[in-house]
Amino acid sequence: MSVPLLAARGLDYRYSGGISALRDLNLTVERGRKLAVLGANGSGKTTLLLHLNGTFRPTRGELRLDGDPVAYDRRSLDRWRGRVGLVLQEPDDQIFAATVEQDVSFGPLNLGLADSVVRERVNGALDALQIADLAARATHSLSFGQKKRVAIAGVLAMRPELLVLDEPTAGLDGQGVARLLDALQRLHESGATLVFSTHDVELAYAWADDVALFHEGTVLGQGEALAVLRDHELMRAARLAPPLLLEVAGALGVNWSAAPPRARDDVLSLLRKRLGAQAISSERAAGQGAPATAPIEGGA
Amino acid sequence: MMAIDRHAWTNRWRDWHPAEKLLPAFGLLWVAVVLPPLTTAPLVLIVAASAVVWGAGVPLRALLAFMAAPAAFLVVGAPFLALSLDLSAGLTPRFSPQGAGVALTSTLRALAALSCLAFVALTTPVVDWAALLRRAGVPSGVVELILLMYRLIFGFVERALAGRRAQAARLGYSRFDRALRSSGLLAGNLFQRGLTRARWLEIGLAARGYRGELRVLREERPLSRARLAVAMLGVGLTGLAGGLLARALS
Repeated sequence: MSVPLLAARGLDYRYSGGISALRDLNLTVERGRKLAVLGANGSGKTTLLLHLNGTFRPTRGELRLDGDPVAYDRRSLDRWRGRVGLVLQEPDDQIFAATVEQDVSFGPLNLGLADSVVRERVNGALDALQIADLAARATHSLSFGQKKRVAIAGVLAMRPELLVLDEPTAGLDGQGVARLLDALQRLHESGATLVFSTHDVELAYAWADDVALFHEGTVLGQGEALAVLRDHELMRAARLAPPLLLEVAGALGVNWSAAPPRARDDVLSLLRKRLGAQAISSERAAGQGAPATAPIEGGA
Repeated sequence: MMAIDRHAWTNRWRDWHPAEKLLPAFGLLWVAVVLPPLTTAPLVLIVAASAVVWGAGVPLRALLAFMAAPAAFLVVGAPFLALSLDLSAGLTPRFSPQGAGVALTSTLRALAALSCLAFVALTTPVVDWAALLRRAGVPSGVVELILLMYRLIFGFVERALAGRRAQAARLGYSRFDRALRSSGLLAGNLFQRGLTRARWLEIGLAARGYRGELRVLREERPLSRARLAVAMLGVGLTGLAGGLLARALS
């Protein structure tokens, strides 16, 4: 197996009050994949993500970037953060400049690039997120969804190898989620490795290549999305309900070893086949292609 | 404040170089201050207001709203300038013709100055005049701080309003003592949230390589010499007209 882009081994982290946030945590980020860190809210996912770019330093354990142990001196941190971009959950925690263009230019300027290169990168990042029309707008006048994309563009303009996003879909409506995932998908196809945290089992199922199940400060298991989400024992331990689509497919008696349905349209067509076309009204079947994001709270 | 900011960002002259707006505004202000106010100040007021409304396309209503509060202070305060206190017979206020002149001229001047300020405020977003400050040699730390405060103030106001509404929904302002208590709690809460946000902002900025300097790309906006010349010519003509009128009337 190739050397992972980023790997965490045996991470422990205690807040200054002595409260344990991470316990013996292992995580592997493989190049070119989309990894979901899946767990309930308040379980410490953000704390973990803040370790991935060196914001927090583990009390014990180590991180390896490209196989090399990381260092926390200024210079190493700068290099590290140039390679691993972090997008916070709340875009207002990140956007500080008065206009969109200026805010997005902050990161690349800190990389020491020339103004002309920075301008190119800013335009590229705005294009990638389809917000070029917002370039001259005041950041405080943007909608939440727009701010979210500006925050991502601000990190993207630094061209990181790994993009870490904390709850990227939180607070967005269905259309906002679809647009954001669309943009992230294009980034991914152009070669970016993505790590995102989420509490949304359906999102992880519909969109991630790999899933790391996170529960009370540790990763219970990590692997291909389907394998992890189908592991009932593991899911129970993480206090998460399996994805609805998988359950429906299971209830319909679909052969599990064949490719199970990943998108809601697949399940709908399955249902239609079973129940006869009239059973599902055509309006409801005309799904907008948005991934199913019905919240499923984790009961045992 | 929100309305002013909105117009500053959306008016027709938004994309002009800030100097094309600031220099004429200061020119008009200077004219209003040094030339005879009785004729010049009203002219300045008219010119500045016309520029805002017809030039930049800011609604007259917005301009009036901007001017209303300070103008009200002027109107309330000015009559007192026309009074003088006679101390010989106790404290008797007495009308003084000389004071009346001062009251009139200072009110006119203040209104004219106010219209110049309105012109700048309603046509030029903060980012633009910050860029100008930087060029004028104001230390970059100060300019960065101004811009950061400007950026954060909107979130702060939003949160304060939302907090107040939430408190009011639970009858937090139904009696004077409750209102007092609620505003105290709100202030404390906002302070705490401010600290938390500052901490997160630091994390967010550090993730993008923050090293103590908030450097961003500066907007390159070409200065139109022609426009600036026309504007300054307008300022000159206003001054000339004011001066000539004053001479003709005296």
